[in-house]
Amino acid sequence: MAAAHTQDTMRLPAELLYQQEIEVLKKEDKGDVPPGWQMSPRAVLTYITGGKAGKLDITPKYIGNRRLVEMAIATLVTDRALLLIGEPGTAKSWLSENLAAAVSGNSGLVVQGTAGTSEEQVRYSWNYAMLLANGPTPEALVRSPIMRAMEGGSVARFEEISRCASEVQDALISILSEKTVSVPELGNETSARKGFSIIATANTRDRGVNEMSAALKRRFNIIVLPAPSDLETELSIVKKRVSEIAASYELKASPPADEALLKVVTIFRELRSGMTLDRKEKLKSPAGVISTAEAISLLTNSMALAASFGSGEMTDEDLAAGLQGAIVKDDDKDKLVWKEYLDNVMKKRGSEWRGLYQACREMNE
Amino acid sequence: MKTAADVKVSVFGVRHLSPGGARHLLQYLDQVRPTAVLIEGPSDATSMIRDLVHPSTVPPVAVLAFTDEMPVRTALWPFAVYSPELQAMRWAAKHKALCEMIDLPSGSALALQDLRRRTEEEKVSRKAAPGAESEIEPPSEEAASIEPEGVEESEAETAGRSIYERIAELADEHDYDTYWERHYEHNANPDTYRDSILAFSAEMRSLGEDRERSDQPEEHAYNHVREAYMQRQILKAVEAGHDPSKIVVVCGAYHAAALEHPAKGAMSDEELASMPSRSSKLTLMPYSYYRLSSLSGYGAGNNAPHYFQLMWEAMESGQPEDLPRVYLSTTARALRASGTHRSTAEVIEAVRMAEGLASLHGGSAPTLLELRDAAQTLLGRGDLSVVAEALARVDVGTEIGSLAEGVSQTPLQDDLNRELKRLKLTKYKTAVATDLSLDLRENRRVSSQEAAFLDLNRSFLFHRLELLEIPFVRSRPNNADRAVWAEDWIIQWTPEAEIRVVESTLLGETIEIACAHRLREKLEACTSISEASALIGVSVRCGMTAQMEDGRRVLQALAADSRDVAQISGAASRLSGIIAYGDIRRADTAPLVPLLEQLFFRGCLYLSDAANCNDEAAYGMVSAIGELNKIAQEHDDTVDVPLWTQELNALSERDDRNPKLSGFACALLLERGEMDAEQCAAEVSRRLSPGIPADLGAGWFEGLSMRNRYALLSRMSLWVQLNDYINSLGDEEFKRALVFLRRAFSSFSAHEKTMIAEALGELWGVNAEQAAEILTGELKEEEDKMLDELNDFDFGDF
Repeated sequence: MAAAHTQDTMRLPAELLYQQEIEVLKKEDKGDVPPGWQMSPRAVLTYITGGKAGKLDITPKYIGNRRLVEMAIATLVTDRALLLIGEPGTAKSWLSENLAAAVSGNSGLVVQGTAGTSEEQVRYSWNYAMLLANGPTPEALVRSPIMRAMEGGSVARFEEISRCASEVQDALISILSEKTVSVPELGNETSARKGFSIIATANTRDRGVNEMSAALKRRFNIIVLPAPSDLETELSIVKKRVSEIAASYELKASPPADEALLKVVTIFRELRSGMTLDRKEKLKSPAGVISTAEAISLLTNSMALAASFGSGEMTDEDLAAGLQGAIVKDDDKDKLVWKEYLDNVMKKRGSEWRGLYQACREMNE
Repeated sequence: MKTAADVKVSVFGVRHLSPGGARHLLQYLDQVRPTAVLIEGPSDATSMIRDLVHPSTVPPVAVLAFTDEMPVRTALWPFAVYSPELQAMRWAAKHKALCEMIDLPSGSALALQDLRRRTEEEKVSRKAAPGAESEIEPPSEEAASIEPEGVEESEAETAGRSIYERIAELADEHDYDTYWERHYEHNANPDTYRDSILAFSAEMRSLGEDRERSDQPEEHAYNHVREAYMQRQILKAVEAGHDPSKIVVVCGAYHAAALEHPAKGAMSDEELASMPSRSSKLTLMPYSYYRLSSLSGYGAGNNAPHYFQLMWEAMESGQPEDLPRVYLSTTARALRASGTHRSTAEVIEAVRMAEGLASLHGGSAPTLLELRDAAQTLLGRGDLSVVAEALARVDVGTEIGSLAEGVSQTPLQDDLNRELKRLKLTKYKTAVATDLSLDLRENRRVSSQEAAFLDLNRSFLFHRLELLEIPFVRSRPNNADRAVWAEDWIIQWTPEAEIRVVESTLLGETIEIACAHRLREKLEACTSISEASALIGVSVRCGMTAQMEDGRRVLQALAADSRDVAQISGAASRLSGIIAYGDIRRADTAPLVPLLEQLFFRGCLYLSDAANCNDEAAYGMVSAIGELNKIAQEHDDTVDVPLWTQELNALSERDDRNPKLSGFACALLLERGEMDAEQCAAEVSRRLSPGIPADLGAGWFEGLSMRNRYALLSRMSLWVQLNDYINSLGDEEFKRALVFLRRAFSSFSAHEKTMIAEALGELWGVNAEQAAEILTGELKEEEDKMLDELNDFDFGDF
């Protein structure tokens, strides 16, 4: 990718966003680099969880349980496929993107799983014009991202695997156990080079939609990503991502004050767990997903609102609009849940919360 | 002591429950070939070494020290098969070397422990007063890890947390245990092991010692005293002619540096004489891995005893690298046994993953934490709850130790075994729960006295064990029709039961004496007559007549001050049960009869006073009066029945007592035949005459209707009077009355309601069946609404 190209890209892939960090990590790397990898497992760990490489501070990409990251890396070292499972918004895709970026320097080999994903998208398909004109030739073959990853010995990603139909999922079984894709039309097969692996993600909310077969599950090392374990962890995640996104979108609003962050994360944690942080009061949870990722997008939304239509300073009204949108998804019921929360919990929180409470109430009318 | 000042002995510092330490210690002993092996442990336990190394002693076992006087203090020194100390003892026994324990004798250890606890408590209370608590955490003293020993463990663990966390962080490990395992247990080089553990603990000590001296002077002094004593013991071995270079001291790494040159600061004779001591005893007892693990909160252990046993076994067989395979396949087998199938392929991948995780930390082999992570990912498919039970089985294990027969058992253990043999219960001493049904009645088909009352004697023993809180037997409730003469029990032997037996030795030398002691304690502590009467029941069930007499005295003393009729009647009814059925347990209950008389008398005297109560208290009083009435019927030859009748009469007639209780008294009089139909009619018309407030009238009726309903149902005049009364009430009054009447009739059965309907039908001249249909049928919507409206009725003025 040309440098000029990166200027106006909406969202940079991890390997470009953190290009400098990866360069330095590679240069300073003293560990053994497994075949097909661009850096040692330890360096990958540092890249994901943060630390120092030479003089450069490496920003943590995944904040939370370090052992989970170690387990993920150890899985890839042993050529196993990795399956990240979790509630929506628990950084599954983010972690898989960054792992792929660090291990093979390319996080772009992605199959996005949907109900319409077909087996061809997992294995290969044909350029039909060429197929009709010349018959089956290597040139007419359209390789799937997974097949390209096998050829290049790099990591492929399979997003939302549990949204695909079972027969599509099962196409992965032979790829994962034989590590080859055969193309009978050409009479040859593509074998994976060292370094090939697959990182798949699946959503616990989709459980039971397209349950993965036992045979496929067995070929993955499964790691469950939890919601951030405590308020501080979640705060630091939100804070970091909000400022990164704001920078890349060049939002002309000042980043949200710590106080606003604290309020949003508190509200989210309380609604998610169904009780107040001090565990004294039980609450109703809204039907929709209220993950960390939602908190992040809510805050950037509010910043955009403030920048475009306001003074540039995020006000309680901007926050309230964001909260309303994030929490009230299933209109009637969620509206009541939100109203209950406002009046039973937020109203009693004292003067710092008064402004936000008023704004939210007006918005929820 | 007059020995050359520069005596230098070989010291091998260990962590107490460490397979790696045990392995290296054995190699070191083979290399030095000492003539004397001195081990940190209570010096009076030296005599137990013979039993500890006995071939039929199966670890885990523990040395238990306990004071034989109040207040009771205990200390434990547990040994697993991988304890370096135990392995050193075995080595010494095999090579005929002298083997001794050299730490403070248990009596002094317990006395000093007591002393420290007291100063600690004082400190806490002093600290609490000014409210200015220091932020600095107390420093570590004896590292939980270096010195996991019965007495010290719990304190050291909380105190030393921060410094261990910091070490783990610096070493880039997740916790201190993992740090320790990777750097010491996995260390295969014997020389570096001994040196590094010495260096490590010396550094730790110098880090913490100054702070300890200022912040926790008692702890510091205690360590100093212990070391001085150990030095003295080492010098004694030197004096006895052992070449210092042929003496190996095995101790917690923390003490290693201090013990290398024993001549410096060894305890003098005067100091020894002035050391506090408490009279104490020692015994060996079987221990369990569950207790050894911190799961049970007993302290003194590592968190995965069975895992460390696997590690030890792998080391023994010369293949420590097998451990991950053994661990993960054992876990998979446990999973399969509980019905979750996992393939060998997954075990293989789990081993690979664990090794991958270890290499991320630069380790040579996976630690427990990594093995668990791998098990969760592969065998649990990401879900910890799937593998949690299997992991607990493999980490902690269910192993229990055992001792050779007759080895150092406490008198109570012996007594229990004798009793079990005598009562033919030995076959129930298994880890599998067994049911046993007892028939307490005399078995007339057998010849001997012993056999005739076998089950009764068993019952006595079980009740005694229950009293001592020895979890060997559990009683199971049985059918009411055989409750008088039969009992059902569940019997299951666990190490915890054995441990409780040993601990109960402090109460007495035999089960009977221990029970007597426990009962006496409980009687002394009891403050209410219901507790005391319950204890009399316990002593009868335990077959302890002497204690029944004690209980009687206590109850009598307490009853003299009590005016609580509910409690008095409860106690009296319990006594009455004991007196009625006591002979099935061959208990002489005659001494209890006068007490019952006395209690009953007091109940009568205070009845009238106690009946002056609100509706809520009246519930309790109803059952109390019922119980007293039952006693009056069952023991009419002993208790003062005329007085009872008189009191009931008084209560029935009085208008200033709770109307419900007056009504209830009236019902009892009717039932006893003390009131004839005429008197009854007069009373009913007096109570239910127009003008009487609804709550009084209907409340009284509620009390009346609680007994002998058939007698009421058949009395037509009653219903006429009730009918007239209700008719006389105004609308507002009627609503009030309805509340009481509804409650009164709510406990009537459908059949009884039908009978009332018939009576009323006759009265109103309507078809009885129609009336019954209305009364027993479901409420109509409209009626329902009207009743709902009653809910809004203001009860404030009741």
